[in-house]
Amino acid sequence: MENKIIEKQNMAPFVDNLINAEAEVIGPKRKDGKYAFDKLIETGELCLDYDTTLLPPKMYLFPPKETLIKFELGKEPKVEPVAEAKPLILFGVHPYDIKAIELLDVAFSTTNPDINYLSKREKAVIIGVDCLNPNPNAFCPSLGTATAETGFDLMLTDIGDSYVVAIGSSKGEQLLTKYAETREASQAELAQRNSERQKALARYKVTLNISPEELPQLLGKSWDSPWWKEKSEKCLSCGSCIVVCPTCFCFDVQDDIALNLKEGERYRQWDGCMLADFAAVAGEGNFRGDKESRFRHRMYRKGKYIWERYEKLGCVGCGRCASACLAEIASPAETFNKLKEESK
Amino acid sequence: MKAKLGFFDFTGCEGCQLEVLNFETELVELLNHVDIVNFREAKTEREDNYEIAFVEGSITRESEIPRLKKIRQQAKIVVALGACACLGGVNCLKNFRPMEENLRIVYGDAARYYDTIPARPISSIVPVDYYVPGCPIDKKEFLKVTKALLLGKRPEIPNYPVCVECKLAGNVCTFDKGETCLGPVTRAGCNAICISNGRHCWGCRGPVDDPNTNSEKEILQKHGLTVEDILNQFRIFNGYLEVSK
Ligand code: SF4
Ligand code: SF4
Ligand code: SF4
Ligand code: SF4
Ligand code: SF4
Repeated sequence: MENKIIEKQNMAPFVDNLINAEAEVIGPKRKDGKYAFDKLIETGELCLDYDTTLLPPKMYLFPPKETLIKFELGKEPKVEPVAEAKPLILFGVHPYDIKAIELLDVAFSTTNPDINYLSKREKAVIIGVDCLNPNPNAFCPSLGTATAETGFDLMLTDIGDSYVVAIGSSKGEQLLTKYAETREASQAELAQRNSERQKALARYKVTLNISPEELPQLLGKSWDSPWWKEKSEKCLSCGSCIVVCPTCFCFDVQDDIALNLKEGERYRQWDGCMLADFAAVAGEGNFRGDKESRFRHRMYRKGKYIWERYEKLGCVGCGRCASACLAEIASPAETFNKLKEESK
Repeated sequence: MKAKLGFFDFTGCEGCQLEVLNFETELVELLNHVDIVNFREAKTEREDNYEIAFVEGSITRESEIPRLKKIRQQAKIVVALGACACLGGVNCLKNFRPMEENLRIVYGDAARYYDTIPARPISSIVPVDYYVPGCPIDKKEFLKVTKALLLGKRPEIPNYPVCVECKLAGNVCTFDKGETCLGPVTRAGCNAICISNGRHCWGCRGPVDDPNTNSEKEILQKHGLTVEDILNQFRIFNGYLEVSK
């Protein structure tokens, strides 16, 4: 992979050029003491040294609410599919979120390709940045998601006075040539990048005491563990853990009809297995009607089912769920470590 | 055939009916599909041939009970409109004081001419088919429920907590700002409007079907509220419920 250097003073012009170019630029900004991805109006708003964002950048590829079709009722009903997409630059995406998007790429293109996701994805450029200040609940190193080798067009690493830029695609390279002032990276600068990444690893506070490959098997034999009931007792079924998760991709589909009772649209919105009615079916049935089975299901998704289906982990260790959970029960790391201990 | 609607008010501030009248453009369109035959707030002529009754306000006087029962007898569908009708609402604050004292505070010397009973939701008197919660109601949700009824579909309102919409709105949680919130046990549907505007959730939409109030109380305590504080939070809108007692 080719590497360049952008001096820090040249970063603002690069971002400004991107903002003024044809595409919308989305990046992490400060929000009430935390960070959130949002449209950048000017470079000054961009915070590349953030820990993590409230919501994952997946929201720009798989929006919380999205129209799928428009229809008109009548003798001969009219139906028109909708798949809106515009050029987008996601700037400052952390490696774990890049890994999560790689999972979504597979999930949304396997079996029944999801045209709404894929059309947005195709128009999106991903400019990553290494996470050097991890949030206290993250455990990326244990899952191999602290750095990324693929899944980006460009990847930045802050090495002090400058950024090393790894070029991940020709699209990325073109943007760099067109909009940034760069120079070749020296061996010393590449060594510096390694050392920054190494130092960052030491800043993670949570560690998984099991290798990710062993998780499916561990979960497989933990179905009857008392942990599920004990821990889920406090669950509020509030869905915070699934809404903030970069790898969750479940949605609900509903119709909305205009006041003329003729025209309408079918839309999807994020949904998830921790909500009480997620597995509810006609006739008052619910496949997972209690907190315990929902709590267990989510952990199985993160550590077993997704792996078995897509050969990618269903959790990238970002720690957002643990930060969002008021009941303090949502961290997969805590559950996996506990089950590992029980299994000894 | 246009469906015939009636609007009825019991004890409340009439804010929910006002919300309906505030629709203007939408209301005009709605009138293509319905006849509003009874709406004291909006018109003087009245007929009693309504099929769908929207009921605002809670029940706080003996005399309101037979009136509500009559509405139930006439209407095929009864929809509770707003926190007062759905939950008892703010009126239930008076339930924590003796009724005579309430009368004296409100009416002074004239107290003996009035009767008052502990405030209650309309569902404690008659069966209610559907709910449009909130104080006041959300106009979009009212229209959603009404459109579903006109199409013969079952109206769906969210059965998940406000936290879902709050997170989707991109808010920083009030608990992370050193405050507290009833969002984790309160029914969504308002787009977490209070939190998005810098406040917290007071629970005006009432609880979800199966709220984990024990866990919520524990969390509130952990964040510095006393048992008394917690009861006072719940009592603002949910005084009729067990959780406030
Ligand atoms: S695990 Fe936590 S965040 Fe998730 S639904 Fe339960 S209480 Fe909410
Ligand atoms: S389960 Fe939690 S830690 Fe894992 S990816 Fe989702 S939000 Fe991040
Ligand atoms: S619910 Fe609120 S707005 Fe509606 S009548 Fe009662 S007090 Fe007024
Ligand atoms: S502010 Fe309230 S509604 Fe929003 S996430 Fe926090 S507890 Fe839930
Ligand atoms: S945030 Fe809470 S108090 Fe505010 S409107 Fe919604 S339910 Fe009512």
